[in-house]
Amino acid sequence: MTITRRLALGAAAGTLALPNVVRAQAETFRIGALNPITGAGSPYGTGMQRMIQAAVEAINSAGGVNGRRIEVFAEDTQTSPQAAVLAAKKLIEVNRVRAILGTWSSGVSLAVIPLTNEADILLMHTSGAPALSTPPANAKNFGYRYQATNDRFGRAFAEIAVREGFRRPATMAFNNASGIGNTDGFRRAWAAKGNQNGEHVVYEPNQPSYRAELLRVLSTRPDVIVMGSFLPDTTIILREWFQTGTPVKWIIPAWAANPQLVQALGPAVTNGIIAVDSVSNEGAEAFTAYDAAYRRAMNQPGASNVYAAMTWDMANTLALAIEQSKSFETGVINAAIRQVANPPGEAVSSFAAGKAAIAAGRKINYEGASSVLDFDEFGDVTPDFGVFFIENGQFNRRYVVKI
Amino acid sequence: MEAYLVAIAIIGAIYVLLTLGLTLQYGLTGLVNFGHVGFFAIGAYASAIVSMQGVPLVASFAFAALLAALAAWPIGLVALRLRDDYFAVVTLGFGETVRLAITSEKWLTNGVQGIPGIPRTFAGLGVGLPGALATLAAITLVCVAAALALRRITRSPFGRVIEAIRDNEEALKALGKDPARFKIQVLALGAALAGIAGAFYAHYITYLSPDQFIPLVTFYVWMAMIMGGVGRVSGAVVGALLLMLFLEGTRFLRDIAPDAISGVAMASLRLGAVGLALILFTLFRPQGLVGDYTRR
Repeated sequence: MTITRRLALGAAAGTLALPNVVRAQAETFRIGALNPITGAGSPYGTGMQRMIQAAVEAINSAGGVNGRRIEVFAEDTQTSPQAAVLAAKKLIEVNRVRAILGTWSSGVSLAVIPLTNEADILLMHTSGAPALSTPPANAKNFGYRYQATNDRFGRAFAEIAVREGFRRPATMAFNNASGIGNTDGFRRAWAAKGNQNGEHVVYEPNQPSYRAELLRVLSTRPDVIVMGSFLPDTTIILREWFQTGTPVKWIIPAWAANPQLVQALGPAVTNGIIAVDSVSNEGAEAFTAYDAAYRRAMNQPGASNVYAAMTWDMANTLALAIEQSKSFETGVINAAIRQVANPPGEAVSSFAAGKAAIAAGRKINYEGASSVLDFDEFGDVTPDFGVFFIENGQFNRRYVVKI
Repeated sequence: MEAYLVAIAIIGAIYVLLTLGLTLQYGLTGLVNFGHVGFFAIGAYASAIVSMQGVPLVASFAFAALLAALAAWPIGLVALRLRDDYFAVVTLGFGETVRLAITSEKWLTNGVQGIPGIPRTFAGLGVGLPGALATLAAITLVCVAAALALRRITRSPFGRVIEAIRDNEEALKALGKDPARFKIQVLALGAALAGIAGAFYAHYITYLSPDQFIPLVTFYVWMAMIMGGVGRVSGAVVGALLLMLFLEGTRFLRDIAPDAISGVAMASLRLGAVGLALILFTLFRPQGLVGDYTRR
């Protein structure tokens, strides 16, 4: 057979057509990882993004969802609503993602959720603002909150204060939705128990010193100070408090009272601080898997970034819901999320195990790394709260509070 | 893709409006306004709050411009006594004061929780592309009108007086002109432009919170103006678009080579690139891209 020009052309055309076929087989389910890489959320953002990618890697190596691989497109919100809106538009319009995972501050999530609703895709976030549960923000019920609302944290603080026998609590809050949400939740719950609220101070971010605010609180002689704070300001406040030598106890959310805080201040200052965390399900197998992935990616223990555990769970619940629904349609996937995350059902802690159980026709209940992950009708989780006492630089969990 | 480009264009046009206001104040009159974001915030909140009470958007936009211009009045009175550096400090303080006032006055602004669910411009066209295109058309129209008005101003007697204020205020006084009146008018006009930009921003993002109005916004506008060309209307437009190119263009680098560069490095690179551009501009093209080459 001689190779004619026509034959060569035909062969060339055939080769050109090949990638199309290959591409059709390799069609992916696209998701966006929209995280606070820079700005106020930067201590967490990179870890959050890496854990979405790590979870997706595990999902893909378990055969993907409904036979498709998941593909991740990563973006930075800069912890700013304006930048987040543009990033979300890009993910939706250019990358054509079918879900957005891991927005961090309430301002960002509230700005992004109209866009995801409009595009008919899911938004899984870690923000505390109550407005995200209900219409207009959550008009289509496509929003899922993997973080306990700040109000629930506040209620947990009140339970702890009662249990520890405190009588005169004062509150200090970082002036943003999350900080004030914590202390307001505490004050409401504390008053509902028939108690008297103490001094309440709201302070501005980015100050070099909080001595004036601190002295105002300490002058009322509280026996405990309940904080709605973040790491940088908590570091300064505790240092200045220690210098005053006034005896007082502290109840602080665990995203502020974390190992970095102990590292910055030393065990003497931090001794006896009560750190409260939505229980990262440490006993759970999901947490072990997450912790290993986090150490690989970030070279730090997984417990140092609660939000990364949440994004790990986001990727897994989404993938399980797709597997359960046998569909790539948002509406159908959305209906399946509670099926795979909530009881009753066989408790599973990884995508691979869940996929096998679904294939065997069993109802599953994903128990996550961040909490047991049971969503209420608003798409919110109500986790249990772990109460840690910092002793000699170690975080010792004494008990768990349920609200 | 179209909707993303439209989104960039809308945000870009908002920055064009802001830069036009600053060009009038600094470029033409020499008022060092470091509190531009304050007027932007006043416009955004004014229009958002009023429109959520059922006032039609046209009226709420006018109210935003009016309120921002009125807020410039006391600053203008201060400007009579202060020059350059001192005025810069006062305006910087003003911008922060506005943000703190918004944070504290919960009854009006909902404080740090912010205002969600602000009505969109052209909501009748739905939330998709048609509505966004109509918004883009409207804001482009406003930008063109503002640019033409500014160009008209620079060629009018008023324009010559404010440029004289910038170049030599004492000489102007000696000629019997009263710089105070002109300064107040210029501040009010520039603030009104920022107010309108704020209204567009509020009804486009549909969620406002105080932490969106940090001084960084002011300095973005300054960057845009310096890159484009101080004192030129076309410079304001070119500079604002160039700024958007820097801020948004870098997103695509990561899609092309996702492993080559981490998110954190990208963010630093982005700011570094803008900083480098600013230094290079000051060194080699102090007049900006389309600056005024008739002056030295």
